[in-house]
Amino acid sequence: MNIMPEPPGIRYYDLRHVNGHHTHIDIDNGIVESAGTSFFNKAVIRVLGPRGWGIVQIDNYAPGSRKEFENILNHATKLAKITEESVILGDVRHGMLLTVPVKEDCRSISIEEKSALLSEIERSAHNPLVVNRRANYTEKIEQIHFLDSSGNEYSYEMCRSGFSVMAVASRNGNIQMGHERDHSIHGFNLRHQAEKGKQAADIAVALLDAGAAKGGKMHAVLDPELAGVFAHEAVGHASEGDLIQEGNSVLKGRTGQKIANEQLTIVDDPGIHEFGFDPVDAEGVAVGRTEIIRRGVINAFLHNRETMASVGNGVPGHARAMAGEPPLVRMSNTFIETGDATDEEIFAECKKGIFLKGSRGGQVDPGRGVFQFNAEYGYLIENGECTKMIRDVSLSGEILTTLHGITLCGKTRLMNPGYCGKGGQSVPVSDGAPHVLLCDAVVGGSGLD
Amino acid sequence: MSCCAMRWWVAVDWIETLLKEGAKKVDELEVYCGNGTSVSASLKQKKISLATSSKECGLCIRTIHHGRIGASYTNNPDQWRACLDAAVASGNLATPQTWNGLPKPSPVPTIDLSFDPDLKLEPGCAQEFLKTMLESAAAHPAEVTSGSADLSSGNLTFANSQGIFYTHQSTGVSVSLEAISGQSTGSEFDHAAFIDDIDPEKVGERATFFASRSAGGADIPTGDYDLILSPLAYADLLSNVFVPALNGRNVHMGRSKLADALGTMVTAPGLSMFDNPHIPREEGSAWWDAEGTLTRRIDFIRDGMLEAFAYDLKTAYRFGKTSTGSAVRGGFAGLPSIGHYNFTVDGKGENIADERAIYVHSVVGAHTANPMSGDFSVELSNPFWMEDGDFQDPIKSAMLSGNVFELHKNIVGLSKESRSIGSYILPSIKITKQHIIGKHS
Repeated sequence: MNIMPEPPGIRYYDLRHVNGHHTHIDIDNGIVESAGTSFFNKAVIRVLGPRGWGIVQIDNYAPGSRKEFENILNHATKLAKITEESVILGDVRHGMLLTVPVKEDCRSISIEEKSALLSEIERSAHNPLVVNRRANYTEKIEQIHFLDSSGNEYSYEMCRSGFSVMAVASRNGNIQMGHERDHSIHGFNLRHQAEKGKQAADIAVALLDAGAAKGGKMHAVLDPELAGVFAHEAVGHASEGDLIQEGNSVLKGRTGQKIANEQLTIVDDPGIHEFGFDPVDAEGVAVGRTEIIRRGVINAFLHNRETMASVGNGVPGHARAMAGEPPLVRMSNTFIETGDATDEEIFAECKKGIFLKGSRGGQVDPGRGVFQFNAEYGYLIENGECTKMIRDVSLSGEILTTLHGITLCGKTRLMNPGYCGKGGQSVPVSDGAPHVLLCDAVVGGSGLD
Repeated sequence: MSCCAMRWWVAVDWIETLLKEGAKKVDELEVYCGNGTSVSASLKQKKISLATSSKECGLCIRTIHHGRIGASYTNNPDQWRACLDAAVASGNLATPQTWNGLPKPSPVPTIDLSFDPDLKLEPGCAQEFLKTMLESAAAHPAEVTSGSADLSSGNLTFANSQGIFYTHQSTGVSVSLEAISGQSTGSEFDHAAFIDDIDPEKVGERATFFASRSAGGADIPTGDYDLILSPLAYADLLSNVFVPALNGRNVHMGRSKLADALGTMVTAPGLSMFDNPHIPREEGSAWWDAEGTLTRRIDFIRDGMLEAFAYDLKTAYRFGKTSTGSAVRGGFAGLPSIGHYNFTVDGKGENIADERAIYVHSVVGAHTANPMSGDFSVELSNPFWMEDGDFQDPIKSAMLSGNVFELHKNIVGLSKESRSIGSYILPSIKITKQHIIGKHS
């Protein structure tokens, strides 16, 4: 449609319309429970009135006449009348990156073939001690159209697809699980993955003999996946501009303050080709690298246009949204930069402690500055060597003190895809890091010795 | 612009046509469709920064042909033909299973249990709620960081090829407020189906109370302690681990620790867990489930003993059981799965706050618990020493580690009052000998 100037009483408006479809396959113990395709069409129109926002969310949106669009704008303008906060939008750079080249387009493969490949992964989790195998495939293709009253307009398509496989092992009432997954923006990724099922089964079976971790303070080596979740929970959320603006983050007002060792640089970058990639943010703003922590010092917050103007000290281009939902300040691809330690040096320096692998997720209270996250499993470290396997290990920490404990970072960074929830919206993200040494970690576990 | 809300509710002829068209292609089919509208307003600190209205709609078609179940959904009911084709195609991929038919029509009470005719979706109403919360929040020295008020209403229609044609209306109100005092946070929320059942005044007061009263807490050493979990903290642990183990599908597929425990004691004596779908004015209440089966009370645990699991039609047919009317859907456009309506933990209520114990308002990270084994470690939020029914000294921070199944065997008391937390109705619980990890051990 033609972009029209703002009607009276409107300082700015934008529209974000997402059309798409979702294909899924669910195989549970060899049975195809469900498989098929569903469709969605959602839009959100935001209007900035004299003070704050009026927002209209519409299902099944079809671009219509100028008159129809004006009616929506009028409706949003009426909503905005009850707002009191004087919202200012920051001056930002607009623009869109090229989208990601896809190696094999998911649409070129039949659902029957997808189902057969997923079934191979699920079958490979077979093991005499495994009582349940479950594999899921998911594929979401979205066509996104954005326009605003300043004349910016972008259209692009994103396809995110991937799988997860879980194995549950059971023996004498002890029940444990192993889990593997891979999600991608680079196209169809179900081929040559059959070993993932076996890996999940091997972990589940091994955990039957693992001990519970003993809680307390100890040194910990975190693998790239868990260290990535650490960066996400311990630093990422607390650096989100909306939380800073509300006064609900311990990082507020601390720009320039040293809160970590010099080795530590933590970055969020929606522009790199990982699972959290967006070629342009949900407000039409150009995306780029934001060094949240640079060499141990708080450097820049993540912003949308509103928080950029209100808070400053950061980089815009971090507005993200689920289809049909208003944009929020979010992380995308968050990672700890590589250091110069070899993995051998990290384990030797740890000497006695715990090696933690994989992630079952985490959570943070950014205002209080307290975070918690959980590993899938781990090993005790004795004399710099991994020994006994342990299960159900959580770590908790305080943002302003725990980061000093990261004293070594490895040389190779790996990224892991996932989803992050905030304000009722779930968006794709990736987290990553090299292996890191975290000294004096607070470890939660129910083991007694 | 095209939106379904105005059109389809007036004329449902297309549903009849859809059922007729579908019957030519498959043995049986069902149609689940609905629409909803909402109005909300949000605070940034003490000022309203945005107001939102939304209209959503959805249609889910499920087909059954020779035991193969197919499904598809869309939020454009105008495109029901494409959705029907996608559902039929989906069924061709599914593994066939034993199928004994969709439910037939039954008499259903005409009163909607969770519909408030007096609830009006007006921005001014959300504005009033926010104002009330802010006024009562001023009772304690803490700063409001954010808050919201949301009003919604929805309509559902369920029809199948056996002749069922049910409709259901519902309403909802929810409010929340977050506050901070120094580095001490507090939050509270409330939700209800009826506008008169919401208490914004209490929400505002409690949010700043927890923020201000938790400031200046001291550390505690690692050890075993007696705990009182608030309904909020308890809901987090119960919903992530214990309730999924009562799901019939998990039970029969090897994903439930309680699979072999029917007829045995699984909690402390005196504790009962049931789902009552027919409580007037509760948001979760419904006469029929997401597959058209009539809902009924399910007594999962009576006096500590495990007596039942929850089933939908698909799981029940496959494993020779009967549906308990427990099929639910995540939204208008979603597949049915096993869930519950008003999951209640009950027992003899008493004063559980008289003897010295640690009170835990909420926990951080309950979703990271091991859903199979029940092992968990969470960070405590707003923990206090509690004695003689009063909040005493706040505790700075600590982790709670344990096992959700074992924890239920150590419950020694339930509070007299219960509270709705989402689809749960829960008391506070007192548990003994719980392992706490201090931060300076």
